[in-house]
Amino acid sequence: MRYRTQAVAYPYWVVALLLYGLQMVFGLLAIVKYLGPDPIRAVLPFDVSKAIHTNLLIVWVLTGFMGAAYWLVPEESRTELYSPRLAYWQLGLFTAAGVTAVVGYLFRWTAGNKLLEQPYPVKLAIVVVMLMFLYNVGMTIWRARRLTTTEGVLVAGLAGAAVLYLPALLEFDNYTVSIFYRWWTVHLWVEGVWEMIQGGLLAYLLIRLSGADREVMEKWLYVIVGLTFISGILGTAHHYFWIGVPAYWLPIGGIFSALEPLAFLAMAVYAYAATRRSGLAHPNRMAVHWTIGSVIYSAFGAGILGLAHTWPSVNRWTHGTMITAMHGHMAFFGAYVMIVLAVVTYAAPILFGRPHEEHETAIGLWAFWLQIAGMFGMTMAFATAGISQTYLERIIGLGYLETQQKIQVHFLMLLATGILFAAGVALYIYDFFFLVPRGHREPTPWPAAEPVEA
Amino acid sequence: MTKRQTRAFFYAGTGVFGAIFIALTIDSHRQFPTLTHSDRITPAVIAGKHVWHRQNCVNCHTLLGEGAYFAPDLTKITQQRGAAYLKAFLKDPSKFYSEERDRRLMPTLALSDREIDELIAFLDWVGRIDTQGWPPRPILVTGAAIPGTEAVGAPPRAAASSDPVALGEALFRRTPPGCSACHSTAPGVNVVGPSLANAATVAAQRVESPDYHGKATDAAGYLRESILDPNAYVVQGPTFSSGGRSLMPSDFAQTLEPRQVDELVAYLMTLR
Repeated sequence: MRYRTQAVAYPYWVVALLLYGLQMVFGLLAIVKYLGPDPIRAVLPFDVSKAIHTNLLIVWVLTGFMGAAYWLVPEESRTELYSPRLAYWQLGLFTAAGVTAVVGYLFRWTAGNKLLEQPYPVKLAIVVVMLMFLYNVGMTIWRARRLTTTEGVLVAGLAGAAVLYLPALLEFDNYTVSIFYRWWTVHLWVEGVWEMIQGGLLAYLLIRLSGADREVMEKWLYVIVGLTFISGILGTAHHYFWIGVPAYWLPIGGIFSALEPLAFLAMAVYAYAATRRSGLAHPNRMAVHWTIGSVIYSAFGAGILGLAHTWPSVNRWTHGTMITAMHGHMAFFGAYVMIVLAVVTYAAPILFGRPHEEHETAIGLWAFWLQIAGMFGMTMAFATAGISQTYLERIIGLGYLETQQKIQVHFLMLLATGILFAAGVALYIYDFFFLVPRGHREPTPWPAAEPVEA
Repeated sequence: MTKRQTRAFFYAGTGVFGAIFIALTIDSHRQFPTLTHSDRITPAVIAGKHVWHRQNCVNCHTLLGEGAYFAPDLTKITQQRGAAYLKAFLKDPSKFYSEERDRRLMPTLALSDREIDELIAFLDWVGRIDTQGWPPRPILVTGAAIPGTEAVGAPPRAAASSDPVALGEALFRRTPPGCSACHSTAPGVNVVGPSLANAATVAAQRVESPDYHGKATDAAGYLRESILDPNAYVVQGPTFSSGGRSLMPSDFAQTLEPRQVDELVAYLMTLR
């Protein structure tokens, strides 16, 4: 660790990983409810477990992003963080807001708006958290008078996420208008500014792990985020199919969301080129696993599987089926979960003052491969369920309930692969909490083997 | 390419496409009132939207195809089921579905009569939004297509010929009016309303039966009366009626043209 205040990232990642574990509990519960009958339907119906499952994801990934920013910004700007105390308060407030929301859902306190279920006071608290974060990071960079492209893209992504959260505070009497703006938050997050964050973190990791030339990496980073926005902004239109908006959104959505995989493919080429040029000899091989994994899974999950059902004449039949869940799970995991875990895995040995080599444990490898295999299986289960559902319910005209009975077998596969995945998550958390701190020593100066500045 | 050029690519690309997006958003606002019939957004519809959000409906159901995939899409539900049925259903879903049979069951929500009316008003408004022809064929909650039904492969909209029977059958499968959402034509399959497998035969027997007090004198007349005035004779069944009133929508006299009623009767008379 080059700067003492980078350690602020640690409690962020502790909270993030704990919530990641909790997310698994509610995900598995949701699968069991799909199999039914549901003995705890009166206490915890499906809608509550689903809302908690998705909200925990958003909260913990954002926590992970912010922790990663606190890790990365001092290093990039070559200074201590402006105010570690403010960062701790910010984490406290964000955790309190997240926990309040989750507990509130259990007691049916909800705004009932998909992915933006947070009740209004919680939404306001989130805005305050964002402002605290941006102030702290902004002051750090301003005082250092040094802003690299890598951190600039990362911080701009987080600032964009804060700005784009604002439409979520608006309310409209017209349901079509309210979902129109709901996508400004949800879509322009995950297919816009969050991709910037992913790109920034990826550039940082590739520079550190492969020792690739910073100038070259940052040059192409602009191309990646440029492609993201060129395709992603108008790509919002693929959420404007069939909801009561003008018909011109149909071809726009078709064409621009067909271009969206380009940004993800560009990231894959980016990583490939970096490793070709500079090799992957970094001793923290687990971090290399997660970084390369993230690039591959986001290209497949977010890019290809998104493309699979985004063309209007296809989406006409698949809209609102399990096909969407197929794309959503792998996209979020590949693009955002894996990039956070990559940064955490990269930073952990440095944080604990251990040599990078010791970080590759058998448990760490199992954690990686179980999540990879589990998510692949879950994606296939959602895909087969969704294809069957589309065919039986939408094309043949079978009733919804009869269709769900006929695709039960896919939910069994979902449960089996979901358990594998959750086991991988549990091992990752165990590895992070119990194995690493056992060798906890006072942070040593930057290890000699580490390329300090590529 | 230099870093300066790639940076320009990023700024210019984002700026240009962002500006197009904003322009289209402004134009969409111009068109929202027509496309969504915003003049029909009454206070009841707005209140119903709040009920929809308060009850977290979207985390099981989809509406306009958006939401969760644990429960059926509700975009056209008021046209398929009608207000009377939905009212009875929302009071106690377990009367209509069984968790043992369907593996899942909607929880009974503690909704007041007024909230139920508002929710139905909201869903009814949503059902009239211009969705560019989506869904391409009706998404049914239940029914159809257990062996013996001819819904499989039947064209959703167009009739095979100009024959009244063919036109009637096509109309039967279409939403609105959504007859097939509640009535199967397979023997013994009671979806929500009674099976119409042998509707013509049953109708002929019913007009002769002593407990029939309606105005019809023959089978075709009985079928016509059942469509236009479902309460003229109420068939008994667990999901057919509530409080002695039929759960079938009673506004087909207004929403269907006389020619369409003729076609439906012509089709139903072929089910013997």
